[in-house]
Amino acid sequence: MKEQERRAETENDQAMKLSPDEDLMLEVRNGAGETLGVLFDRYHAPLYNFYSKLTGDRTLSDDLVQEVFLRILKYRQSYQPGTPFRAWIYQIARNARVDHYRKTPRHITFEPHMVAPVMPKDSAQQLEETELLHRALMQMPEEKREILVLSRFQELRYEEIARLLGCELGTVKTRIHRAVQELRQNFKQLERGLAPREAAPAVVKTIPPRRFGNDM
Amino acid sequence: MTCEEIGELLPDYFEGSLKAPQDDLVERHIEECADCREEVAIWKKLSLLPVEQPSAGSRERFEAMLDAYQTGRNDKASAGFVPEKRRSAWNWLRSPAGAVAWSAALLVMGIFAGNYWGSRTTHSNAGQDEIAAMQIELTNMKQLVVLSMLQQQSAGERLQAVSYSRREDQLDPQVMSALVHTLRYDGSVDVRLAALDALSRHGAQPQVHKGVVDALQEQQSPLVQVALIDLMVEWRDPDAAQRLRNFVQTPNLNPTVRQRADWALSKLN
Ligand SMILES: [Zn+2]
Repeated sequence: MKEQERRAETENDQAMKLSPDEDLMLEVRNGAGETLGVLFDRYHAPLYNFYSKLTGDRTLSDDLVQEVFLRILKYRQSYQPGTPFRAWIYQIARNARVDHYRKTPRHITFEPHMVAPVMPKDSAQQLEETELLHRALMQMPEEKREILVLSRFQELRYEEIARLLGCELGTVKTRIHRAVQELRQNFKQLERGLAPREAAPAVVKTIPPRRFGNDM
Repeated sequence: MTCEEIGELLPDYFEGSLKAPQDDLVERHIEECADCREEVAIWKKLSLLPVEQPSAGSRERFEAMLDAYQTGRNDKASAGFVPEKRRSAWNWLRSPAGAVAWSAALLVMGIFAGNYWGSRTTHSNAGQDEIAAMQIELTNMKQLVVLSMLQQQSAGERLQAVSYSRREDQLDPQVMSALVHTLRYDGSVDVRLAALDALSRHGAQPQVHKGVVDALQEQQSPLVQVALIDLMVEWRDPDAAQRLRNFVQTPNLNPTVRQRADWALSKLN
């Protein structure tokens, strides 16, 4: 390859890395499948977090992320110029999850090792709090948890969430408020039940059974 | 202000988008009201939950999928012309496993095209068919990923490929052949064991059944031999006894394996 061409290619790569999602998606739509790699790099970790916080299942989360990108290829012709890409991809992500549950009966999983990896700066108390919080979150019905995950972890703006869920902005706010209230109740209950943890049957009952490594 | 009124403002307060007078109202309220204060606190605490990392093979899996898809498209458009970048994929496609993947890719393309034209003509009742066709397409594409990753240099990736195959309820005959091939010839014992495990669920398929039973004679690893013997007992294979009797004649057989085979024979008789 000539030096000039190589330089042009590098510049092109760099330009691609700075391009807005929407421009990249239009390229994918027009047949440049390899451009999808840049979008994969931008979105696969956030999507993975969306799924893992929602389902508590790592293997499933990995699979669903792949499914999303497969669907983007499949549906690329339906991407309309001017559509915010973030909204579009989360729409696909939600549909992929719904379809998965349609095919496979829902069972909630709770993987103990998913809870807060130990970080040196964590104090013992903070670790405990994080674990309680995670449990409190996982106790919520998935539909309610979703709105918290979208707003708090995916950092979607309320307007984006409203469009995604197909409801009014005010409804989104009300639902967030209710979800936070419920989370707080769950958290307090767990905190109270902490002394002998088994002493809180209502809580223990809602913690899904542990699942052992079944990947291989 | 009541808690209810404050509650309406809280989501905007969380987001930091509340403007001056209301912002102060909320702050003053939460200083006095423990309930609302706790609500704000729990929202803030959510940031303590760790960001989780996708599994390490995520990018490779994506690339295998993209490659399978791209090769199908490019080749349809320009038979004969192979760009430099795609050469390795092209070589792979000319291998036997590649060839089957390739025909699967063409099938995918066929479904895609059919779907596209179909949707133009029969708008009204296409919905169900389209969903069904899409399921087939997605399944095929996933199986292409398995096929492609089974060809990888690193045992870790081949192991991943086998584990992906386990997540499909039904496997293409090509994927089953590839798994049987892996069981027989893969250089890594771990990968061979994983392949056997994946195949064990498809014993009802004659092709799988034969491939697994045939594999016993040529395996060198005692671990795989024992696993194969166990599976033959589990399947109650009609020729199992005869095959095991031949097998125990093998010179220099590992004593543990011989013991297992004797045990299996006693079970089968
Ligand atoms: Zn209050």
